[in-house]
Amino acid sequence: MADQMSPEMTDFLYPCVAPQARDPRALLIELAASADAKAAQSFEIGCTTINRLEAEISGIATEMVRRFTAGGRLFSFGNGGSATDAAAFAALLRNPPQGHALAARSLASDEATITALGNDVGFELIFSRQLIAYGRPGDMAVGFSTSGNSENVVRAFREARRRGMLTLGMAGHGGGQMAACGDIDHCLVVDCDSVHRIQETQDWIGFAIWEKVQAVIAAQVET
Amino acid sequence: MDPTDDQGATWATDTTQRRGPGPMAEDLAIASLDLARSFASGATMWCVAPSWAPHAQHVAVEFVHPVIVGKPALAAVAIGGGDLVGTVRAVAQPGDVLVAVAPAGEAATCALMRRAPLWGLKSIWIGSGCRPPAGSADHVLWIDDELNRSAYGGRIVLVYHLLWELTHVCLEHRGLLDQGAGTPREQCDGEVCITCSDEGRLAEVVDTGPLLRARVRTAGGLESIDTTLIGTPRPGDLVLVHAGSALTRVDG
Repeated sequence: MADQMSPEMTDFLYPCVAPQARDPRALLIELAASADAKAAQSFEIGCTTINRLEAEISGIATEMVRRFTAGGRLFSFGNGGSATDAAAFAALLRNPPQGHALAARSLASDEATITALGNDVGFELIFSRQLIAYGRPGDMAVGFSTSGNSENVVRAFREARRRGMLTLGMAGHGGGQMAACGDIDHCLVVDCDSVHRIQETQDWIGFAIWEKVQAVIAAQVET
Repeated sequence: MDPTDDQGATWATDTTQRRGPGPMAEDLAIASLDLARSFASGATMWCVAPSWAPHAQHVAVEFVHPVIVGKPALAAVAIGGGDLVGTVRAVAQPGDVLVAVAPAGEAATCALMRRAPLWGLKSIWIGSGCRPPAGSADHVLWIDDELNRSAYGGRIVLVYHLLWELTHVCLEHRGLLDQGAGTPREQCDGEVCITCSDEGRLAEVVDTGPLLRARVRTAGGLESIDTTLIGTPRPGDLVLVHAGSALTRVDG
């Protein structure tokens, strides 16, 4: 499920504007300053993470291209906002603004399949059951969870590993069960406990992987 | 620019391309207060992203299922599918809010944004790259990056994450919510009106009647107009109305 933060994480903000104030100007100034600070924080976490993961991202991209070239397909999944991030990552690979289009799609986007599986076999199996139907040894599984603990994501990795797929995890906080489960070839952890900052950074990682994938393909075409 | 042709420096790792909201911060603050006032008045927020579909769903789920325990769930809905204009026209009600995450010039978004004031909707347009023309939406939250790559890589996500957070802060300041909210749009009932007689106003055709008359929806409400100059329009057409007559059709 989507990961929630406790309320005290934002309560320290905006201390200067009383709830009953009627002139919005003071609040607007505080809000703008807060937006700027949050953006700076997001940028800093992103930079740190991308720099730390640079070599691993490069290795992942090389392996992904090897699999795509051999006919492998990529399946992405996640819950809530992470489902949309998974869909955006698949869409970037499949309908890129430039470069090569690759076989990637989200397992969270078909309402008939999701509700059928959720209703009939359980929500924790909505992704793993699809991988039983679709997954082949050369394929790739990319799962997003800001906590690293989403049960249906962890179960999908177990199934993907069983089927010989490449498994790539996008997690936050300490990596949770995703970091501990042993089913994930590359578990990329954003070292942060804000769901929003984690998602922004995971999207950045996804974009960096896409760029590197395109670079590897371009290099192959030249040689 | 090819992301790979710059001696290995790619857009994802070129941090000079990734600055924070900066000048957008003030726009975000103002849009958030306006959005909070709409929610406080019972608005539903309709989200579209015709060419970047996951963004519409991501915006909506942020508001419907808050990431912070205890924040109220707000009425936000992602809309997809083919006929976005027809869908929003059918489901949105005056006082609601339309949020688009889309590049400038994206046809379906332009069509929606032109009609939003006629349907009584507030509009927020989030995007990157080349900006839409001034006045295209009530609030334009824009990332000015030359490569228009911000649809990817988390930067546009940051913008609506901040919009969500700031809106909730505004909702906690009850004293600020009833000012300017729900202000009725300027009404114009008569045939002679200083404002209307001086300028053409945008209107959407609702239906057509006999004798080259048509009912149109303008920002001021429903009106009956003469269509002699343009011939019989179709429902959904945009026309420019001046002094009770349709002067011309408008694209979109």
